[in-house]
Amino acid sequence: MKASFDDRQPIFLQIAEMIEDDIINHTYEIDDQVMSTTAFAKTFQINPATAVKGINLLVEEGILFKRRGLGMFVAEGAVEKILKKRRDSFYSQYVQKMLNEAKKINLTTDDVIELIKNGKRSE
Amino acid sequence: MQVVLETKNLLKNYGSTEALKNINIQLEENRIYGLLGRNGAGKTTFLNLISGSIFQDEGDIQFYGNQLKRGETPKSLCYVKEKNLFFGGAKVIDLLEYAAPYYENWDWDFANKLLKLFELDPNKKFRKLSRGMESLVGITIGLASRAPITAFDEPVLGLDPLMREKFYNILVEDFAEHPRTIFMSTHLIDEVSKIVEKIYIMESGSIKLSDDMENIKNKSYFISGKNTEVESFLQDKNMIHRETHGSIAIAAIFDTLTIEEKEKAAAMELTVDNMPLQKFFSYYAIGGDGNE
Repeated sequence: MKASFDDRQPIFLQIAEMIEDDIINHTYEIDDQVMSTTAFAKTFQINPATAVKGINLLVEEGILFKRRGLGMFVAEGAVEKILKKRRDSFYSQYVQKMLNEAKKINLTTDDVIELIKNGKRSE
Repeated sequence: MQVVLETKNLLKNYGSTEALKNINIQLEENRIYGLLGRNGAGKTTFLNLISGSIFQDEGDIQFYGNQLKRGETPKSLCYVKEKNLFFGGAKVIDLLEYAAPYYENWDWDFANKLLKLFELDPNKKFRKLSRGMESLVGITIGLASRAPITAFDEPVLGLDPLMREKFYNILVEDFAEHPRTIFMSTHLIDEVSKIVEKIYIMESGSIKLSDDMENIKNKSYFISGKNTEVESFLQDKNMIHRETHGSIAIAAIFDTLTIEEKEKAAAMELTVDNMPLQKFFSYYAIGGDGNE
C-alpha cells in the first residue's frame, strides 16, 4: 500500500492500481474483502466518490466483485487478469520511454540491451 | 441523483452594479462542491441569496424542488458565513447552544469532539477570539449541524496550514460516514482538490466554468519548448497563458490531449507537464487572453 498519491495520473486510477498491486503481491487473496470506499476516503483524505470510481473500474474488469450489503471482494482469476493487463501495457509504459531517452543520449537499442544484460556492472 | 438545490437565472443588482447575472447552479445530494472566484466575483452575494439573507431581483432558488420564498430561511441549509456577526460578549459554548436547535441532525458529541480537535476553549468570549479561531467556531457549527446542505464561505480564512489540514481531514472523514451536500467557497484550489468533486468558477457575477475536478486536472497542461514548435503544436488548442524566454516558450493550455498528441509533442521535443490547479485557476480566472 502506498502512503500518498502523485500527480502523474488521476487519483481513481492510482487507487485501482494500489488495489491491483495488493492483489498481485498476495496481500489480498481470492475472496478477500478489499478496503471499503469509506475507509479509503478516511485513510487517504479523498472524496469517497473518487474511491468508488477506482473500485468500479476493477469491478468492470472482473477483478473485484460486489457482495450486496457486504462490500467488494477479490474475484477468481484476478491475478491473471491484472498480470495480462500490466504486461500488455509494459512496452508503452516502460520500454518506449526508456528507448526515447536512450535515443536522446545516443544509445542504440543494442546498447540498451547490453546495459540490461550487464545490470549495474557499469556503475 | 437527487437535486437538492437549484438556482435558475439568478440575478442581483446593487444600484446600477450587476452583482450576479444569470446564475444557474445545480447541486446534487451527497456531493462536495467548490466555489472559486477572485474577491468581488460574487461568491458571497450568491451564498447570501441561497440562504435567504438577501433577495434576488430575478430568478428562482429551489430547495428539493420547492421555491424559496421571500424572507424564508431554508431549513435544510446550514450557512457558515465568512464573518459571523455573533454577539461579542457570548461565549463559544453559548453560540453552539444558540445554533443547535436550528438543525435537526445536530450532534453534540461531534460538536464537543470538534472543540477539542480545534483547541477551542468553550468558555472563551467570542470577541476575544483570533480571526482563525472565529473561523473554527463557524466550522464547528457547520460540521456539527450535519445539515443536508452545508455552505461554507471561505471556511479556512485566517487558519494556519495545520488547522486547515485538520479541517479538510475531519470534513472528509465525517462526510464518508454521514454523506451530505457541501458547498464551499475558497481561493485554495490545490488544497481542496482531493476533497471537492465538482467546482464552479465565478467571475464578474457570472459562472465562468463548471466542471468535475478530475476533468480540470486532465485538461490543464504546460507545454514548453522551442518557440516555433510550441506555436505550431498549439494552433487549435485553448491556450490560457503564455510566456517566452528568448527562443523558449512556455504555454498553459486548458484542453484535452490525446495519447497521439502527447506522442507528437514528444517527437517535436516539447515537454508536456501537468499544471498545478492553483496556476490553472489564476490563469483562467484572470481572463486568459493567452498572452503575457
